[in-house]
Amino acid sequence: MSHFSSKDSSLDNLLRRDPRTEWIARNRLHPLHSSVVSAGQGEVRGSSGLLRKNPHVIGFIGPNGIKRIDRANLSSAGLNSKKRTGEAKETQRPLHIVENPDAYIMVVADMIGGRLTSHDKDILGLAHQLVAEGNQNTAVVLVCFGESKETQFDLAGVDRLIHLSADEFEGFAPEVRVAALIQIETQYRPEHWLFPDSVHGGSDLASRLAAKLGERPAAQAWQVTASTTTSRGASGSQDIRRETPRILMLMEECANAIEDTRHQVLPLDLSEEFIVPSGSCLLDKGQIEVDSNAVPLAEAEFILSAGNGIHNWDQFHSAAAALGATEGASRVAVDDGFMPRSRQVGASGTWVTARVYLAVGISGAIQHMQGIGQCDKVVAINTDAGCDMVKRADLAVIADSEAILEELTKLAQQYSLSKSQEEKSDAA
Amino acid sequence: MLPNINVVSLVSVGRHPQSGRARRAEQDGRAVELGLNLAGNTLTVVHAGNAQEPVLRQYAGMGLPSLTVLAQESDCDALPALVSFLKDKHIDVVLTGVRAESGESSGMLPYLLAEQLGWPLVPRVAEILNIKEGEAEVLLALPRGQRRAVIVKLPFIASVDNAAQEARQTAFGPGLRADFKVLTLERVVDEAASQWQINIAKPRPKRLKVVKAKTAADRMKAATAKPVGGGGKIMKDETAAEKAQAIFDLLLEEKVVR
Amino acid sequence: MMLDWLPPTLIGVLLVLAGIGAVRRMNLWRAGQAEKVDILAGLLAMPKRYLHDLHHVVDRDKYISRTHVATGGGFVLAMVLVVFVHLFGIDSKILAWALLAALVMMFCGALFVYKRRLNPPSRLSKGPWMRLPKSLLTFSITFFVLTLPAAGVLPEGFGGWLLTLVLSALILMSLSEMLFGMTWGGPMKHAFAGALHLALHRRPERFGGGRSTGLKPAVLGETSHGVAKPTDFKWNQLLGFDACVQCGRCEAVCPAFAAGQPLNPKKLIQDMVVGFAGGTDENYAGSPYPNVEVGNAKGAPNQIITDGLIHPDTLWSCTTCRACVEECPMMIEHVDAIVDMRRFLTLEKGDTPNKGAQVLENIIATDNPNGYSPASRTHWTADQNLNLMKDVKQADVLFWVSDGAFDMRSQRILRAFVKLMKAANVDVAILGDEELDSGDVARRLGDDATFQSLAKRNLATLSKYQFNKIVTTDPHAFHCLKNEYGDFGSDALQNVEVLHHTTFLNQLVKDGRLQLDTFKGGKVTYHDPCYLGRYNGEYEAPRELLASLGIEVAEMERSGYRSRCCGGGGGAPITDIPSERRIADMRMEDVISTGADMVAVGCQQCTAMLEGVVEPRPVVKDIAEILAGQLIDRQSIEETH
Repeated sequence: MSHFSSKDSSLDNLLRRDPRTEWIARNRLHPLHSSVVSAGQGEVRGSSGLLRKNPHVIGFIGPNGIKRIDRANLSSAGLNSKKRTGEAKETQRPLHIVENPDAYIMVVADMIGGRLTSHDKDILGLAHQLVAEGNQNTAVVLVCFGESKETQFDLAGVDRLIHLSADEFEGFAPEVRVAALIQIETQYRPEHWLFPDSVHGGSDLASRLAAKLGERPAAQAWQVTASTTTSRGASGSQDIRRETPRILMLMEECANAIEDTRHQVLPLDLSEEFIVPSGSCLLDKGQIEVDSNAVPLAEAEFILSAGNGIHNWDQFHSAAAALGATEGASRVAVDDGFMPRSRQVGASGTWVTARVYLAVGISGAIQHMQGIGQCDKVVAINTDAGCDMVKRADLAVIADSEAILEELTKLAQQYSLSKSQEEKSDAA
Repeated sequence: MLPNINVVSLVSVGRHPQSGRARRAEQDGRAVELGLNLAGNTLTVVHAGNAQEPVLRQYAGMGLPSLTVLAQESDCDALPALVSFLKDKHIDVVLTGVRAESGESSGMLPYLLAEQLGWPLVPRVAEILNIKEGEAEVLLALPRGQRRAVIVKLPFIASVDNAAQEARQTAFGPGLRADFKVLTLERVVDEAASQWQINIAKPRPKRLKVVKAKTAADRMKAATAKPVGGGGKIMKDETAAEKAQAIFDLLLEEKVVR
Repeated sequence: MMLDWLPPTLIGVLLVLAGIGAVRRMNLWRAGQAEKVDILAGLLAMPKRYLHDLHHVVDRDKYISRTHVATGGGFVLAMVLVVFVHLFGIDSKILAWALLAALVMMFCGALFVYKRRLNPPSRLSKGPWMRLPKSLLTFSITFFVLTLPAAGVLPEGFGGWLLTLVLSALILMSLSEMLFGMTWGGPMKHAFAGALHLALHRRPERFGGGRSTGLKPAVLGETSHGVAKPTDFKWNQLLGFDACVQCGRCEAVCPAFAAGQPLNPKKLIQDMVVGFAGGTDENYAGSPYPNVEVGNAKGAPNQIITDGLIHPDTLWSCTTCRACVEECPMMIEHVDAIVDMRRFLTLEKGDTPNKGAQVLENIIATDNPNGYSPASRTHWTADQNLNLMKDVKQADVLFWVSDGAFDMRSQRILRAFVKLMKAANVDVAILGDEELDSGDVARRLGDDATFQSLAKRNLATLSKYQFNKIVTTDPHAFHCLKNEYGDFGSDALQNVEVLHHTTFLNQLVKDGRLQLDTFKGGKVTYHDPCYLGRYNGEYEAPRELLASLGIEVAEMERSGYRSRCCGGGGGAPITDIPSERRIADMRMEDVISTGADMVAVGCQQCTAMLEGVVEPRPVVKDIAEILAGQLIDRQSIEETH
């Protein structure tokens, strides 16, 4: 099993036998025999399976007139034994061209960190599904705000791009963004406005636009065709089927992302200069520093959790601070009074969703394991190699927690030091 | 608690995710909690719907002396009634949930109210830090416990996120005794919604991992290969420094250490 | 100078003062809420209740029971005779001699009281209680001397006016304690209030060997719920608080007190007295609530108790294990009082600590404390092939599964029990998803509204079906079904035997319907669950079951009616009041001290609590699990091979 999963799988490089050629090579009476043999493929097997070579036919005359036998068989391309090349060639996807589109579908992306999210890509895929159902000469337009680091708009299915990167769109600026969307609306009258139904601003923007335009949108839509839309209602317990509205807030995985085509990514402009609406009632003061330990346990991304195996609590707290982790604890640690009850992870405490759960000295009672069921990566530090937490962990370290935490704290401090120096040199 | 601030919290009938039973809606409860912290006993709590709904007692049990009900049938649109109730009333803050737990759950209500009343809207509020000189400083909830500070002019509408302070316990006695002020305002039947087909939610198909394999060998590999990482890696005999380095590398790889 | 008139006058005056005090004290009690009591029958039954029921409890400590009989009996007799001999001046040698005999008896008793007070255990209150033996001795000596002339031992007028004056002073001293103190709040108050408390007890069923452990239902829909102020208690509850002798037996057995949580049942009752009588607790001379200073609590009859008299944490520390009630010689109902006050906190103030609010919300919305989908209640039965009442409509036995159905550990107990029932060919069915939480947790957390709603809905379900027995593995549900569901006017459980699974299994074993192998797994001890033992008196069936496996139970020091709580009752794990030690850890230490390798339990909550103790520790198993492991069953043998 394991050699299939290893990366340098030999399947790619397997020697493949061609029984027919072998048979022709063995059969001297075969009309093709000479051509096969003279092709230089001297691999002839005897009745015992041994390799037999005909010294008269192998070899070639070298540049200086001397006959050479190429024992390594370097010069010839394989006929009997083909070697597959490991790297599949990156094929150029066909370009999907929309010239002078009759209509537009607008996709307003979240672009978290300046890149298309998988959610955004799914919605672009859906937009193309809608195009395929209706007027083929419709362009899918991506509207994105702020700085963009995305390099693969073409592969994601963007026919046209409206990139609004001015400073006033940065940060939390829903009023300005909506004003821009309205300008787009008046200029292009798109068939549909598609938004990700996300907490990253997608549903907020969609709702604002819908309220401004007086359109009734479908939120939490997950099955959309040109005619009907199915969306979730009543906190996900109902499916509502209706005519597809112009504005849609779409759930994740509502369609497959574009995989087979390349798109033009032609810039599309606003015909008039965009004027920032005056009299804004909202003023963004920016994201504020949140102490990692103030993050609610259920929302925390990275949890350093302590159990019965922790003896040096000061060290544990300083390690959590150095790593920027939210602190969690097992029931025993809470019962013993080392951690507040609000930090308890598990079925009787908080169910956590951290991407990385670092369990120090927690053997893993069933209730605890239930509580970390949704964590992506679990790392265990424990002295007992047989405990359930080690079995569950993606990376388990069998050692006393104190030494490891000390090393980890050091590493984290070094790392942040080197990073701050880097920043300084960047700034300089 | 802030003096002389008129706060209205809008509440709806929630739905328990496991039992499907009517309950105090999670976010609406937080909206009432936030309202009580801002305005104390002067908080107005409004529900548009059936005044006989027992769940309203759960809101009242948070210590509300009274609760205003804009009486209407379940097929009515709550918006016109709420607009006519809220306008011309010198209200400073209207608090709602982000999305209702029953009905369409589109989350449009606060936006439509804001549009019709011409007030600004702040979405997903975690906390209202202070209100002074006609402005409020609020914290918006971002994913993974992050926060953004925003200053908004009064009057405004805020939808309250799950990150806001949890609703206080509802007490049976005060809930039972609370006074319900039932008002009958405009009733507008939601015509569009009556055209919809509403069914119990179908489970969504899980997206399959389609392997775009160009060759038979690749397809074979995809079909037979075990997912990598079934069992975790266990480090036993390495030095403490090596072990710590391995953990730290994983943390860096997962981008949780910044 | 003739002072012969002085002693009778003093006696008379003090008797009058005592009478005035008694009326005053009764008025304090009458400030409580009305409660119907058969006063005449109670008063008539009082001597028997005292001599039988109270003495039965006191007799657990032979020393003090004998001392009390001598002192108390001697005093009562002497006091009556004193009235005849000295107040009314009846000249009878017989009466005088009888009085002398009573005083000698009392004197002997008082000597032992005195001896005990020389180095009193910590559970006893000090303060005024330390002077009580001296008052008793003074009383007996004084009246002995005073009576000698009447008995003809000494001539009339012996000692002259000087002796009379001395005796009068002593009479004043001792009678102030014995009569005046009795009704004006001295230590002797226990005799007066105690006697009336026995006569007018709120749970007369408890006397004569009976049992009354179910909580009384709260009246819903009034202007307030539960007990907010001392006057919200029933009048005879207030009377009961006054009966406390501050012997501290409750304190000695209270698991919360031992764990260092801010609860001491004795102090709680004294604080109740401070509440309805008004004042502060500065005169309290017993052990305080752990880590809470004495002297700061203030109370008044119409003041909210949790505003200054008692901290809510005190009320939420209680596990409702009933050890204090079981141990109280005065039969005071601590648990009733605590839950009454919790009702106010939950139903009126909405102030159930920690996870309490969430648990109650879950129970209301999903009918189980953890908020699981009600439709997943029967998931554990997927491979059990159990009949649903919905389908069969009737069965001999209805298996009440309880909320253990949602918990993976408890499911092992449930499966073991089902296996045993199948082996015994029991005609059994379950309610399936129709079953709801019994309401135990809601009720102990003070939410009687939710409890009553659950009880009524459960009863409505039960009344649809026919069954002879209802059996459950959960002693908490067992208690609710057996003792508390009766208050809701349903006949669903009429003529139905409500049984705990150990009782039921014991019947099966006795009837020879289960073949069991001898157990060879080492030393076993048994932990009595509070809600099975103290609440329902079932101490024997589990032990007989273990004996049927050839197990000789290595008893813990605290077992049977003195069993120590696991810490899991009364919603204590939910309200989670900080403590110095965990109750479960203390109980596990009890287990370990027997040297047992396994502790047998009859309750899923106890199992969960004891298994929560950090390993290494003895194995924790429900009796059903132990039995199922020893089952000789052809079918299962075939299955395993």
